[in-house]
Amino acid sequence: MARTLLVVVLALLLFAALATLPLFLKAFYIRVGLSIFLSAGFAVCWWLLAGFTAYYSFGHTAFVGVGAFAAALTLRAVAAAAPGLQLAAGLLAGLVTAAVIAAAIAWPILRLRGHYFTIAMLAVALVLGEAVSAFPVFGGSAGLSLPNIAPSGMRVEAFFYWLALALLAIVMAIAWIISRSRLGYGLAAIREDEDAAQMLGVPTTRFKVVAFVLSGGLTGALGAVYALNLGYITTDSVFRGSLSLEMIVNSLVGGMGSLLGPVIGAAIMTGVTKLVLADLLEYHLAITGLLIVAVVLVAPDGVAGLWRRTRR
Amino acid sequence: MTALLSVEGLAAGYGGALAVRGLDFAVAEGSIAVLVGANGAGKTTTVQVIAGALRPSGGTVRFAGEAVTGRDCPVMVERGVTLVPEGRLIFSRMTVEENLKMGAINRRAARNLGRNLERVFTLFPRLAQRRHQFGGSMSGGEQQMLAIARGLMAEPRLMILDEPSLGLAPKIVAEMFGLIRQLNVEGITILLVEQNVRQSLQLADQAFVIEKGRVVLSGDGPTLLDEPFVRTAFLGL
Repeated sequence: MARTLLVVVLALLLFAALATLPLFLKAFYIRVGLSIFLSAGFAVCWWLLAGFTAYYSFGHTAFVGVGAFAAALTLRAVAAAAPGLQLAAGLLAGLVTAAVIAAAIAWPILRLRGHYFTIAMLAVALVLGEAVSAFPVFGGSAGLSLPNIAPSGMRVEAFFYWLALALLAIVMAIAWIISRSRLGYGLAAIREDEDAAQMLGVPTTRFKVVAFVLSGGLTGALGAVYALNLGYITTDSVFRGSLSLEMIVNSLVGGMGSLLGPVIGAAIMTGVTKLVLADLLEYHLAITGLLIVAVVLVAPDGVAGLWRRTRR
Repeated sequence: MTALLSVEGLAAGYGGALAVRGLDFAVAEGSIAVLVGANGAGKTTTVQVIAGALRPSGGTVRFAGEAVTGRDCPVMVERGVTLVPEGRLIFSRMTVEENLKMGAINRRAARNLGRNLERVFTLFPRLAQRRHQFGGSMSGGEQQMLAIARGLMAEPRLMILDEPSLGLAPKIVAEMFGLIRQLNVEGITILLVEQNVRQSLQLADQAFVIEKGRVVLSGDGPTLLDEPFVRTAFLGL
């Protein structure tokens, strides 16, 4: 109990400290922080499904795209409203639309296990991307632009920094609460052995659907923020295979074994990309690849796993 | 003597092939019942249907007076039927204690988690010693004990054990049969599936011999042990 309280207090202090950073940092570093929070948020959303249940989705960009386009279209409909209301409407649209789509495909797709699920999610992302680019209402190849909803008088990058930080905190809090609940224990049992979990009375289908819908919906909400930050979206920029890949790589580099893994991984990978490799664009992908190989060889349980192993 | 569990005209199988057809038997509350039979006779299929892991294609299952045919595992566990499956299916990358907690995942048992954990550790002192060890790192006998202990965490009224002696040394098997008797004395009705015919029949209040998906002989254990069919078919006498 005391330990729980300590974790909560430490987390709150850390987030408070991070929230004050834009007051001191240059715009470039604020944008680096924003990128880290967004990719960490996406990675945690992906991990909500994969880390708990070992259902590795290769198509989570589907939910980013759905959230982004839902937000863009909603913002058009409420263009006259106050910026705060617009933001709330955009986030809600992203969350709900992605969650509804996740719920619609959950039952058939979660009957697949292992690689079959992974590949089916890849197909879902491709199909949704194609469908969105086929209908003129989504802007076709020209895409959609989103209004600037940052309050006047506040620096745009700082506004999105805080927004992404807040969403990351919410997503992490949800994941943390699940990990300590009956749902979390049931999902862990599914991860270790789905047949055994069922024998013990875990409602496996219901739990998997809940995890899938939560993961998809929250990814959609973050997708809305992602789109608002970009200001202009096309199918190619939000239904992007590399977005799915980043969620997976960040989680693997950081470690799948704990909630901090995806966050650490996103901080390392995005930090390295933006800070160290910014001047080495032509070597960027090669170095990223080497980094992944190194992690797989040296720390198969990720950075968080390495930390835990040295303490044992 | 009232029947806690009764199975009537049960038919079940995989795909088109029926492994069980027209199977009838009843288990009295508080007894130890044993299903014996050769490989492929339909024993595992039968208990999978009772536990809710497999949907029957015909017949009825009654538990505590109510028809529960086709209910899934979460419902059956909640009502007090726990299956300790063949091959144990313990979580090898979880510690002993985590494995036990997983056994108490249903709402009814989750409320009494602390008390049940203590009870199980008293019953299985060796598991208490190893509570932080990974399930997969233990010996076969210990893993079987863990599987039974995990089943107990669900507070079963009826515990079904599918081939618990499989692959265990004779000394451990004897220990395990002793344990099953002890659980029964504590009030848990036992349905045991075994290929170890001699030892399980010695234990049985009721025994059912299954062949080709139906019950061909039944009676109390010692009587069946003297039955010529059982002696020639299973005991090689």
